[in-house]
Amino acid sequence: MQVISKRPSIERCTESGWDAYDLITSLPIDDELIDSLRMFEGSFLYMKSLKRPFFKLEADLYVMKGVKGDPFFRVALHRDQEAYLDQMIDQINAANKR
Amino acid sequence: MIYLNHGATSYPKPQCVTDRVAEQLAALPSGQFRSTAGIDDGDLFTAAREGIAKILGVRSERIFFTSGSTEALNFLISGFHLPASAFLTTAAEHNSVLRPLFQLIEHEELPSIVPVDQNGRISPEAIEQAILPRHKVLIVNHCSNVTGAIADLKTIGQIAKAHGLWFLVDVSQSAGCIPMSLDEVGVHGAAFTGHKALLGIQGSGGMYLSEDLPISPVKFGGTGRDSSKIRYTDGDAEWEVGTQNSPGIAALATAATYVLRQDVAKIHQYESRLVTETKQRLSALPNVHVIGMTGDDYGPVVSFTIDGMNCADVSYILQNSYDIVTRSGLQCAPLIHTYLGTAPKGCVRASFGFSNTMEDVDALAYAVREITEAL
Repeated sequence: MQVISKRPSIERCTESGWDAYDLITSLPIDDELIDSLRMFEGSFLYMKSLKRPFFKLEADLYVMKGVKGDPFFRVALHRDQEAYLDQMIDQINAANKR
Repeated sequence: MIYLNHGATSYPKPQCVTDRVAEQLAALPSGQFRSTAGIDDGDLFTAAREGIAKILGVRSERIFFTSGSTEALNFLISGFHLPASAFLTTAAEHNSVLRPLFQLIEHEELPSIVPVDQNGRISPEAIEQAILPRHKVLIVNHCSNVTGAIADLKTIGQIAKAHGLWFLVDVSQSAGCIPMSLDEVGVHGAAFTGHKALLGIQGSGGMYLSEDLPISPVKFGGTGRDSSKIRYTDGDAEWEVGTQNSPGIAALATAATYVLRQDVAKIHQYESRLVTETKQRLSALPNVHVIGMTGDDYGPVVSFTIDGMNCADVSYILQNSYDIVTRSGLQCAPLIHTYLGTAPKGCVRASFGFSNTMEDVDALAYAVREITEAL
């Protein structure tokens, strides 16, 4: 599975001053992709028992969250960290080559 | 999909409203004094004014259309041409009141803000205690878009009258779902939006102005009439300038008829049952804190937080795991959250409409229970 594109999120975190993006995946998100996100620093939450499991990785400068089975997950960053997003995508794709 | 975001905008609209918009768009354009086609749209505007006036409890000839509450509140606030310090308002206000007010600030002369209690309720006594000689205008939110708390307009109106204040009310969240008689309670100006409980479309709304309200327009332009006159000098400037939103006004006319036929009191009664049931179900869950548990008269809003969960994540889960639309955050009403204990991140808001059912309440309660159990 790969991240194939990014788009500004419909939920732009406008109230908090962050920018959010939806990262579009080539396949519905599975456990392997969710596990791979643990390589990033931050506290990891995985609510497996929900009707559709929810995951969230939270660090000082970014937040990632999504739902297993969706074709996208959301990344929010401080406005001055946008360049870091492409680096994150590269790392996610490198960890999910198959 | 379960739509619990009627506080942002109502959905779905009644079929008669969507049909009316389509009919209006397909029809020969209404002239508004600017066409040889001879379409008389007077009936359309009059019907909309009359319907809205019945819902608000005011005289129909004092209803003026705008693009919505925000524009109406800007007109109402800026039209006084007073400094910010002449205004007294409450912490329950939406940014459509706060931002126009705070733009008036010069020389650090701030408007006065009356606190609310932990349930979001506005105390008339607190308003009376806050009144200072410099205050000329009182602005009150009839129904909080965060807590659903309904202000006691009758008592507040008496206080405003006793202190000689102009009394303005924001009925954005209440018009169409909470009975009101604004004229009876001494309201001088009110702002309403068309696309919430009035069930019209976005970009429609307006204001009620009592005849004696000492404000003047801050927006000027074409009206299709008296075109050679380019400067108003005798206070006869008009409120509805530029080509009016006739599809939106047609929708409002039809929507107002629909709402009146359903009966606003019955709508309020029905939605109150949904609210009460939701509050009971959610407040029984561990780690869930429902806002506004005292008193029994609330608008169709239930806001809550879950210990250990960011409200934005709760709304994300409700949307993406359970297909339930809510709104999280500050709901454009930043001051109230300080008093609710929900600052700075806010809360999750489920807001109901006439189209919601007890099954929707069941689905929300089920989803929130699963979220709390997953923690």
